[in-house]
Amino acid sequence: MERMQKQPVFFVWALILGLTLWALIFCPAQIQARSSAKHKCQTLQIKGSDTMVNLGQAWAEEFMRLHPTVHLAVTGGGSGTGIAAILAGTCDIAQSSRDLSQEEQESAKAANKIIMETPVAWDGIAVVVHTANPVSELTVKQLADIFTGTIQNWNEIGGNDLPILVLSRERNSGTHVFFLEHVLRGGNAKGTEEFAQTALMMPSSQSIVQEVETSEAAIGYVGVGYVTNRIKTIRVARDHNGPYLLPTLDAIQAGEYPIARPLLFLTLGESQGDIKSFIDFVLSPAGQEIVKALDFVPLEK
Amino acid sequence: MVDKAKIKIEIRNLSVFYGSLEVLKGVNLDVEEKEILAVIGPANSGKTSLLRTLNRLNERNEGFRMQGEILLDGRNIYKKYSSDDLRRVMGMIFALPVSLPLSIYDNIAYGPRLHGVKKKSELDPIVRQSLEAAFLWEEVKDRLNLPAMKLSGGQQQRLCIARTLAIEPEVILYDEPCSGLDPVSTTKVEEAMRQLKNQYTQILVTNNTKQAARVSDRTAFFLMGELIEIDRTEKIFTAPRDQRTDDYVTGRFG
Amino acid sequence: MKSSRAYLNRIFEFVIEKAIFLAGILSIVFVFLIFLFLIKEGFSLFRTYSIFSFLFGTKWYPISSPPQFGIVPLLLGSVAVTLGAILIAVPLGIGSAIYIAEIAPRWLREILKATVEFLAAIPSIVLGFIGLVTLAPLVKKLFHLPTGLTALSGSIMLAFMAMPTIVSMMEDAFTAVPKSYREGALALGATRWEMIRRVLLPASASGMLAAIMLGIGRVIGETMAVLMITGNAARIPTGLTQPVRTMTATIAAEMGEAVQGGNHYFALFAIGIVLFIITFLINVTASFLVRSQRK
Repeated sequence: MERMQKQPVFFVWALILGLTLWALIFCPAQIQARSSAKHKCQTLQIKGSDTMVNLGQAWAEEFMRLHPTVHLAVTGGGSGTGIAAILAGTCDIAQSSRDLSQEEQESAKAANKIIMETPVAWDGIAVVVHTANPVSELTVKQLADIFTGTIQNWNEIGGNDLPILVLSRERNSGTHVFFLEHVLRGGNAKGTEEFAQTALMMPSSQSIVQEVETSEAAIGYVGVGYVTNRIKTIRVARDHNGPYLLPTLDAIQAGEYPIARPLLFLTLGESQGDIKSFIDFVLSPAGQEIVKALDFVPLEK
Repeated sequence: MVDKAKIKIEIRNLSVFYGSLEVLKGVNLDVEEKEILAVIGPANSGKTSLLRTLNRLNERNEGFRMQGEILLDGRNIYKKYSSDDLRRVMGMIFALPVSLPLSIYDNIAYGPRLHGVKKKSELDPIVRQSLEAAFLWEEVKDRLNLPAMKLSGGQQQRLCIARTLAIEPEVILYDEPCSGLDPVSTTKVEEAMRQLKNQYTQILVTNNTKQAARVSDRTAFFLMGELIEIDRTEKIFTAPRDQRTDDYVTGRFG
Repeated sequence: MKSSRAYLNRIFEFVIEKAIFLAGILSIVFVFLIFLFLIKEGFSLFRTYSIFSFLFGTKWYPISSPPQFGIVPLLLGSVAVTLGAILIAVPLGIGSAIYIAEIAPRWLREILKATVEFLAAIPSIVLGFIGLVTLAPLVKKLFHLPTGLTALSGSIMLAFMAMPTIVSMMEDAFTAVPKSYREGALALGATRWEMIRRVLLPASASGMLAAIMLGIGRVIGETMAVLMITGNAARIPTGLTQPVRTMTATIAAEMGEAVQGGNHYFALFAIGIVLFIITFLINVTASFLVRSQRK
């Protein structure tokens, strides 16, 4: 009897306790959310390619110094992440090191959204080998054969009798995808060529450079910004007629170096306001100076 | 007994310490060949420490130190023997029967195998003789491959004796061998000890004064690490020289 | 007055009791939900991709068209690295556990135990990084390999990670062997090594096995260090001196870019299920062994 009477009191206690906890945990969050919403109109979200994240940040810092009222937030996550975010409307500018894939184009169409592409810089991909490697020129076709595993020994392409150690970036890298499509598949988006099963998947460009430095058998690819004088850069030609070119500023800007890609800003429709002035800044000489400073290739001289 | 018996073990001015605790204080004691010497005394009198010092198990204890010397057949056991050689000569039976997690046969064969006897034709007679000497043969001869753990406490203790006999020691040390046994088993163990008397020197540490009286030729009484008195067993129990011995054997303390 | 205090006490008791109950239940609920989620996402792959080609396919090309999700190279990669690690860690572990439990003097024993536990506290990514810059070049040089990023380097690194588990559990197993067994053997004239071999090791066998199983469990789930040091080539390994790609490294490396709701994404979860089942079986075996030793 006594116990029965006391049960309801107990529930009241539990309820009070629960409500207090709820209030403590959630209310400040709500208040915060509301206050940040007020400021949101002045914050531009920039998201996407990991290759471009440092570049984007450098631009943003300089731009915010010039325009203190605008706040830019730059995050990475990969080109795909950025594209997904711009389609979902959760960012204002997507940074991408590749074009939209067919799937992404379709989902944009389905959502009735027009994506504008603005090239903001070039990225040349350097093919690198050990400094003691006698091979110094390769065609794109030869590269494709090396990375797919058709050519397995350096002596097949004029080098020493040494099995080739193929180094690639991981599949989550935009560089991996670009190299796969433009070198292995020769630009054919429907190609089925793949990296050899024996290819090492390296977690970062830096680790490729490190491995190439120490292994005479190695060949790898990295953005031109990662090239050091402790590794050797291969001259690459579109086909055996040449010319064999290093990924220099001139060759990339002239469009002659075969493995270069434009780095893109993706926006929804025609850009306006702060977005437009940021893009204008990026394309201005000051913005392109920053491109050079970060070892990427400016759009023009 | 024989008055001019040969001395098997001489203990000279033996003091034993665990850290700063002195558990044996300047003990002088001779053990005669082929006698059964009982060592009695209340708890903390140093009886067990004496045994563990005799076969060097004490060396495994943290903080063990000793002074004085122990001679076995005139040779210092801490200098002229390796610890495993010594233990082969001086077998020890523990308070709790410790059969190894092996079969009965393998328990007995364990020691001989360690010392290089590998052939079954050589091991079989050793196992049989040892078990017979420990009065266990009849009880286990049909199930030698059974795990030794399955035996009763008394059987396990006799198994331990048999196991010690199998390595053919010269001295057998008993550390309260019957403390966990029922009276029937105790009788059997005591009987085994008496039978072994012709071949071995035996030292029996016991809390059971009656057992000392039943089995031993001579008895040593220890108190707080000191040897109070050693004499023929009947004398210790009937007319001890020291009052404290009298108090203990008559059950007035301890 | 008195009764109201008793009443408050009873409420307090009740609340505490229920809160503890809730905490206990929650952990089960979480495990269950995680498993459910894993199953749901992982099995989505098999709506469009045959489970047979997943389990027995020898090619892992998740972003080709059509993609191939054969996990055999990844599974064997994990097995190679784990096996190598165990081959290294077990003899070393047994040796150091015996030394700590049986031979070392007390002051050294305390130092060694603390050191082994300290080894467990080093984050795996730190070990991985150290391995990348010191171990990989060494392996490359010693075995004259084109690259040091091999299963062997991963095994050595993982052996270091499994060592604390193996050593401290084995040490416990040795310490649990009654002192009387040791003295019983020693009293028969066994040398210390004979005592260890004939008595200590057999008596603690199941504890040692459990230690090894838990070591394996620790190793097979390890991710960052293997991602950095094994080369990540998804081919079927034929030796320890080749680059391999483990299941964990595959998940970690590819999850970032896999399109949510796509087959690649589901395939990574399916790998997660395989991993989960393997570690589950290992842990069950280990706890079974531990229990059988207690008896």
